[in-house]
Amino acid sequence: MSFFDTHLLNVVIYLPLVFAALVLALPASEHGQVRTITFVGMLLDLVFGVWAYFRFEPSGAEFQMEYRVPWFQQFGMSYHLGVDGLAVSLLLLTVFLGPLVVLASTTYIQHRIKEFHLALLVLQTTMLGALASMDVLLFYIFFEAMLIPMYLMVGVWGAEDRRMAAVKFFLYTLVGSLLMLVAIVAVYFISGGPGVRSFDYGTLYNNLLAANQQLAACTNGVEGNCDSLTGLAATLHTYGPWMFAAFALAFAIKVPMWPVHTWLPDAHVQAPVAGSMILAGVMLKMGTYGFWRFAIPLFPVAAHQARPFLAVLAVIGIVYGALMCLAQRDIKKLIAYSSVSHLGYCMLGLLAVTSEGATGSAYQMLNHGVSTGALFLLFGFLYERRHTRLMSDYGGIAKVMPVFTAAFVIITFSSVAVPGTNGFIGEFLVLMGTFKSSLPLGFGAFATLGVILGAAYMLWMVQKVFFGSITHRENQHLRDMNVREMLTTAPFIVLVAVMGLMPQPFLDRIAPSTDRYVARASVGAPGATQAQDGQLRVEVMSLPSTAAAARPSVPAAPLAVRE
Amino acid sequence: MDGSLVEFFRTAPIPPDVFSPSLGLIILLPLLGAFVCGVFGKWLGRANVHLVACSAIAGAFVLSVLAFWATSDAAGGRVVSMANPFGIERDTIRYAIAHDYGTWFAAGDFRVNFGLLVDHLSGILLLIITGVGFLIHLYSTSYMEHDDGYWRFFAYLNLFVAAMLTLVMADNLVLLFVGWEGVGMASYLLIGFWYTDSAKAWAGRKAFVTNRIGDFAFLIATFLLILTVSAFNRQADPRDYNAASTSRARYEQGIAQKGPVTFKGLEKLALALPEGTGGAVSLATPIESGPLSGYTFGGVMTSIMLLFLLGAAGKSAQLPLYVWLPDAMAGPTPVSALIHAATMVTAGVYLFCRMSALLVLSPTAMATIAIVGALTSLLAALIAFAQDDIKKVLAYSTVSQLGIMFMGVGMGVFWAAAMHLMTHAFFKACLFLGAGSVMHGNGDETDIKKLGGLWKEMKWTHATFLISTLAITGIFPIMSGFFSKDAIFHGVHHNHLHGLEWVSGFVYVLGLLITASTAFYMSRVYLLTFTGKRSPEAKLAHAHESAWHMTLPLVILAFLAFITFVYALPLMPRTGGGTQPVFENFLSPVLRPAETVARVAQTVKLDTSVPGVGDYAFAWMWALLGGGAAAFAYLKFFPSRVGQPVPAFARAVRRTALNKFYVDELYEFILIRPVKFVAFILFRVVDALVIDTVLVRGTAYVTEKVGLGLRRLQTGDAQAYAAIMALAILGGAVYALVQVLS
Repeated sequence: MSFFDTHLLNVVIYLPLVFAALVLALPASEHGQVRTITFVGMLLDLVFGVWAYFRFEPSGAEFQMEYRVPWFQQFGMSYHLGVDGLAVSLLLLTVFLGPLVVLASTTYIQHRIKEFHLALLVLQTTMLGALASMDVLLFYIFFEAMLIPMYLMVGVWGAEDRRMAAVKFFLYTLVGSLLMLVAIVAVYFISGGPGVRSFDYGTLYNNLLAANQQLAACTNGVEGNCDSLTGLAATLHTYGPWMFAAFALAFAIKVPMWPVHTWLPDAHVQAPVAGSMILAGVMLKMGTYGFWRFAIPLFPVAAHQARPFLAVLAVIGIVYGALMCLAQRDIKKLIAYSSVSHLGYCMLGLLAVTSEGATGSAYQMLNHGVSTGALFLLFGFLYERRHTRLMSDYGGIAKVMPVFTAAFVIITFSSVAVPGTNGFIGEFLVLMGTFKSSLPLGFGAFATLGVILGAAYMLWMVQKVFFGSITHRENQHLRDMNVREMLTTAPFIVLVAVMGLMPQPFLDRIAPSTDRYVARASVGAPGATQAQDGQLRVEVMSLPSTAAAARPSVPAAPLAVRE
Repeated sequence: MDGSLVEFFRTAPIPPDVFSPSLGLIILLPLLGAFVCGVFGKWLGRANVHLVACSAIAGAFVLSVLAFWATSDAAGGRVVSMANPFGIERDTIRYAIAHDYGTWFAAGDFRVNFGLLVDHLSGILLLIITGVGFLIHLYSTSYMEHDDGYWRFFAYLNLFVAAMLTLVMADNLVLLFVGWEGVGMASYLLIGFWYTDSAKAWAGRKAFVTNRIGDFAFLIATFLLILTVSAFNRQADPRDYNAASTSRARYEQGIAQKGPVTFKGLEKLALALPEGTGGAVSLATPIESGPLSGYTFGGVMTSIMLLFLLGAAGKSAQLPLYVWLPDAMAGPTPVSALIHAATMVTAGVYLFCRMSALLVLSPTAMATIAIVGALTSLLAALIAFAQDDIKKVLAYSTVSQLGIMFMGVGMGVFWAAAMHLMTHAFFKACLFLGAGSVMHGNGDETDIKKLGGLWKEMKWTHATFLISTLAITGIFPIMSGFFSKDAIFHGVHHNHLHGLEWVSGFVYVLGLLITASTAFYMSRVYLLTFTGKRSPEAKLAHAHESAWHMTLPLVILAFLAFITFVYALPLMPRTGGGTQPVFENFLSPVLRPAETVARVAQTVKLDTSVPGVGDYAFAWMWALLGGGAAAFAYLKFFPSRVGQPVPAFARAVRRTALNKFYVDELYEFILIRPVKFVAFILFRVVDALVIDTVLVRGTAYVTEKVGLGLRRLQTGDAQAYAAIMALAILGGAVYALVQVLS
C-alpha cells in the first residue's frame, strides 16, 4: 500500500490549494511568477489527474480510489472520497482544462493578477472536490463553495455589466441549492433512525432502496394504490416528489434547463475567458452529474413520474436554445445559448434511461466541455484583439487570421457534431438512446431537429465573422495566433479528433457507471426486475475500524470504565 | 482468347485474403495527403503540394485497382468468397472482400465497427472516385495555378476523396454516414473556397444546411432501422431465419459482433420479412413491443425508406432539397466536376443500390422515389432551358440526370441506375472540365451568350465537349449515355410495382420528355458556346487552348464516355436462358438478394427482357427531336430574328424559367423567414420579456419592494414598538375573550 493507493484523490483535489498557498505567499507585483506557479500547479494536477484516470479499472468496483476518515461523526458525516466512471471522466476534463485556462488568461487578465489566479486555483479544488465527494454533505459544501470564486471571477474580471451578471448568477444558483440543502437534511432524517442515519451516499442510497422498491411496486402495480404503505415507503410516497423537486430544481438551474437558463447567457457574456471556459466546461456538468448521482437514483419513483415533464423541458431546451442562437448578435451569447441546446441533449440522454442514452449523455458532457470550452477560448483571443462581441463588428477575418480561422472551423464542426469529431458520438448515442427508450418517438424526432438548427446557427456565425470581405478598417491588421495561443488551442483540436475516432477507451470507463445508473433509475419504472439487487446497492468502503464511534447516537463503551 | 491471358486477368496480383487488411489504406492515403497539404502546404510550395496531393490519389487508385481485381479473383476456378457473418456456415458472400478493423464505439448492446467491404458495386465506385478524382487533381494543378490558396484547395480535395471513399467502402450505415457527412463538410469548404466573396460562402452554408435537413431524416431512419432489427429478433421464429439462410444464434452473434446496422445483416432482415417465407414475421405483422409497437413491419419499412429518400434527396439534389446544387457552382470548376457531378451527388443512388434488398420491400417508397426522381428531372431540365451560365446549365443537367437515376432505383432497375451513375460520372465530369477549360481560356467568362465560335480556337476542348454532349443527349446513339439511359427507361417501362402499376407508364412518359429536353438544352449550350461567330461581348478577343494537364483528362474522360456503352450490350448469358447486359451480370452478386426479395414478396415484378432495335430507335427519335429543335432554334430561328422584339408571353416564360420558377423565393418565404421570425419573437418575448424580466427580475423586484415596505415598520422608535405591542396584546385578549364567551 503506497501513499497514492489511498491518497491519490486527495492529492488531485488539494494540489491546486497548495499552490494557491504558494501564490498567496508571492508578492502581488510578481505577475510572471504568479502565472508560472499557477500554471505549474495546474500542470502537476493534470499529471495526477491523468494518473487517477488510468488507475481507474473499468471492470473493478463501482467506486474506486476511495478514502474515508471520520469527520463530524455527531452528524453522521465522514470525509469520504471516491470516483466512479462518470466522476473520473469529468475529473479528467477538469484537470485538462486547468492549465489551458491559465494559458488563456495570460494576456487577458491585466489587473489583480494574483487574486485572479488564487480564485482559479481555489475554484479548481472545489470542482474536483465536488466530483469526488462520496458524502452528500461534503458534496454540498464543495458545490456551494464553487460559487464564490466563480462569483468573484465574473464580478471582478468580467466585462462592462459584470456586477449584475455576477449577482444574478450567484442568487439564481443559490436559490436552488438552498432548497436542495433542505432536501438533503430531510433525506438524512427519514433515511433511518438515530444511529443508523448517515450523510454518506452509499448508506443513504441503500437505506432508501428497499422503500423505493416497495413504492415502485405499488405505484406501478395493477391497483396503483399506495395508501396502505407504512414506514419509510409511506414517507417517500408523500414527500419523495417534493424532495426530488428540490434536488431537481437545484441541478436544473445549474445545467441549465429551460426555463431556468437565463442566468447563463448573462454570466457567460460578462465572464472573462477563463470564467466562460470553466463555467461551460465543468460547472454546468455539475447539474447533469447531480441528476445522475443524486436526484434520480435517490428518488427513482418520483423521477419516473417527472420524467415526461423533464424530457419535454430537455427537448424544448434543445430546440429553443438553437432558435435563440439564430436571434443573437452577440457571439458569446450565441455560444452560451448553444450550451443550453447541447446540455439539453445531455439531459435527454439521462432521462431516456437506456444504456445508449446514458452513455451518450456522459460522453456529451465531456464533448461539450471540450468543444464549447474551445469556442470560448478562441473567441477570447478575438475579443482581446478587438474588444467587441458583436458579429457585425467582424467579417472577413479569415483573410488576416487564417490559422485562427482553421482552428475555429474545426471546433465548429465538432460543435455541430460532424461524424469523425467527438460531438457526433455523443449526439448519436443520445438520440439513439432516446429512440430506444420508452419515451414516445416524437421526443427523438424533435431532438434530432437540433442537428439541422445547430448547423444553421454555427455556420451562420462562422460566415458572419470569418467570411466575406473585410468590412471594418480595424480588422485589417489583426494579428494571427501566436505560439502561446496555438499551444493552448492544440490540445483541444487533438482531443476533438481522438475522442471522435477512438472513443472506446473513454466509453469503457463510463460504461459500468451507466449500467448502474440505468439499473438504479429503472427502479421507479414499471417492470423493473427486482433481482438485480447486487447491481443496485452501492458498495463503498466502511469507516476505518479506529472510528468505531462513527455511529453517532449509539453510545460506545463508556469511557470511564477501565480494565 | 489465349487461355493464359484469361488466367492472368482472373488472378488478382495480390490474393484477396492478403490484400483485404490493406483496404483501409485506400482511405488513409488521401487523408494523409489532406493532412500534409493542409498543415504544411504553405511551406512545401506549389509543386510539392501538387506532387503530394496527386500521388496520394494515384496511390489510392492503384490500391483500388488491386482491390477491384481482388473482388473478381477466380484463380484456379475458385471464385473469391468470404463467410457471411450473419448467415449459416455454408452461406458465403461471393465476389467481395472485407476487413473489420474493430470497434469504433459501443454502448449497451449497440456497436459500430470500422468495417470495410468492397464488392462489385463499391469496387466500381472506388475506381470512379479515385480514377476520375486523379484526373481532376491533375486538371486542377493547371486550373488553380494562379490561386494563392492552392494548398488549401488540394487539402480539401484530398479530404473529400477520403470521405467519399469511406462512404462507398463502409459496411454499415453509421460508417457510411461518416462519409456522407464528411463529403458534405468537404463540399462546404470547397464551395466556399473563395470565401472573401460572401455570396460564395453563403452558397457553401446553404449546401451544408440543406444537406443537414436530409441528414436529419437519415439519422431518424437509421434509428428506426435499429428498432426494427431488435423488434424482428424478438418476434421471429426459426422459419424466418431459415428463409434468409441463417439462424437466430448466428444472426444475433453477427449483430453482437458487427452491430445492428451492417448492410449484410440488413439484407438478412429483408430476406426474412416477406410473406412467402412462412414464419412468424411478415410485412403485415404488427410489432408487439418496444417503441414501435402497433405498427407493422411493412409500414415501418416504408417510413424508413421514405426518410432515407429525404436524406438521399438532400445529398443527391432531388425535390424538395435540390436548391443547393445550382448555387454550389460558386466553387472552383474542378470541384463542380468531381463533387457536384461525378461522385458526391450520386451518394443517394449508391445508398439505395446498397440497400436495394430493403427497398424492394416497399412498393410505396419505390413509387415515391421514382416519381420524385422523374419530377425533379423534368423540372431541372425545364429550368436548364433558360439558364445562360454554362455551369448553371450543367448543374441543372446534373440534377436532371440524378433524377433519371432515381427513377431507375425507384422502379427496381438498380444495375442500370448504377451504370448511369458511372457513365454520368465520365461525361458530366468531362463536360464540367470542358466548361472549366472554356472559362480558363476566356477570362473566366461563364455566359454562353458571350462566348461562341470556340471550335477553332479550342480544338481539344471542343472535340471532347462534343463527344460528351452526344453521350449525354444520345443524339448519336453509339455512346455510353444513350445506352445507360435507355436501360433505365426500358426497365422503368417494363417493371411493375405491386398495386401501383400506373407508375411505370407515368414515369416512362415523363422519361421520354426528359430525353427530348436534355437533348434540347445540351445542344443549346454546345451550339452557343462552340459554333457560330465569336460574340462581340466576349471578354477576350481570342480564346486560348488550355495546357495538357487540362486537356489530357478531357480526352481520357471523353474516351471513357464513349467506350463504356459496351457494358450495356447483352453479351452475357443469363441463368435460365437468354442473355443479359454485361453490367447487370457484373452487379448480380450484389443485387441478387434484392431480386430474391422482390420475387418472394411479390412487391415488384422485375422484367428481364433486353431492349430490341425498335426500342432503341424509338428512344433515339426523342433525342433527335430535342436536338433538332435546338438546332433549328439556335442555328436558324433566333439568328434570323436578332434585333426584333420578343413577344411579352415568351419573355415572361423565359423570366420564370431563368428565375428557377421562384422555388428559392418560395422556400425563403415559407420556411426560412418563419423560422427566423419565430426565433426572434421567442428571444424578445419569451426569453427576454417573460422569463428574464417578468419572472426572474420580477421575483427580485417583488422581494425588494416587500423589503422596502417592511422597512417602514423598522423605525427604531421604541414608543411606536410599544404601541404596536400593546395593540397586539389587546387584540389577542379580545380574541381570547370572544372565544371564551362564545
